[in-house]
Amino acid sequence: MAVPTKGNTTSANQTPAANFKTQNHTQDTGDNGLIVAQFTMSNSTSYTSATYGGVTMTRLYTINRSGLGQRMAFYYLENPPTGSNTLRVNFSGPQWNPLSTHIRSFTNSGGIGNSLRSGGSATPYNASLTVSDDSLIMMTSCSINAITSQQIPTGTNQSYSQHNTNRQVATGAISSNAGHSAGSIALRATSTFGNVSLDRTEILGIGTPVPSRRRIIMC
Amino acid sequence: MKTIISKIELEGTDNLKYTDVGYTTEVSLINQINEAYDISLGVFLGENRTKLEIGEVSISTFFSGVSYVNEARTEVESVEGLSLIEITNINQL
Repeated sequence: MAVPTKGNTTSANQTPAANFKTQNHTQDTGDNGLIVAQFTMSNSTSYTSATYGGVTMTRLYTINRSGLGQRMAFYYLENPPTGSNTLRVNFSGPQWNPLSTHIRSFTNSGGIGNSLRSGGSATPYNASLTVSDDSLIMMTSCSINAITSQQIPTGTNQSYSQHNTNRQVATGAISSNAGHSAGSIALRATSTFGNVSLDRTEILGIGTPVPSRRRIIMC
Repeated sequence: MKTIISKIELEGTDNLKYTDVGYTTEVSLINQINEAYDISLGVFLGENRTKLEIGEVSISTFFSGVSYVNEARTEVESVEGLSLIEITNINQL
């Protein structure tokens, strides 16, 4: 068992003004590479696909937060091309509102594990995610009001980028380097007041057993 | 953390083109660049967002009197491999 090794990050908050947005990002060299991308933007358009270095990324989820007027998405690619490449995300139409982008590279990762999403609820918002031994957790939140913390686990503030998409977005929060022990991990997001959403995704370590929902049973 | 400075110009008639032109670690320069963006293209986008969405206004209108604007809202841990120079003075842009 080994915790995934965190690599380069890129966080951007720009207006696409087109039906796509590109962002350069450098993927670290190493075995068992993984690149993930979190997006938030107005729900006036939808995410249709994403590529990194011309390779199609897998969409883990896209979710319409209609109460916030925002659409959030998570894409990933295992064993991506290394070095500096372009990440491109495509939309169903031109997006004239700012896009929140957070890209993070890993090496020594077993891929994506469990992922849960929770819509806006009164601050402080408490949630949890069940993880395998040595996993990391990535978190993102959206609110009408300023987001004041991303706690992984609850009580431990993690750094994050605060973006403005005409809503407030916290993106890029991740567990400390030591990773977690297997089990349910308590998480908390807070905003100055009002409601805040809380989406969380597990980044598996090497040798981490594949969650049961992804096992293929041969009969 | 380093902040990448982007050059934003018109591409075709209806799209924006972003080109990374350098990076900086100086907060005062980042603020100077973003304040200039906010009072120019930022205001135009804010005031015309709905009209841009329905095609009643074109982004080319803004660029009829301006060739480009800069923005500094991309943060990276490393610029390795990005072939970017360090910008320390706004006159370098």
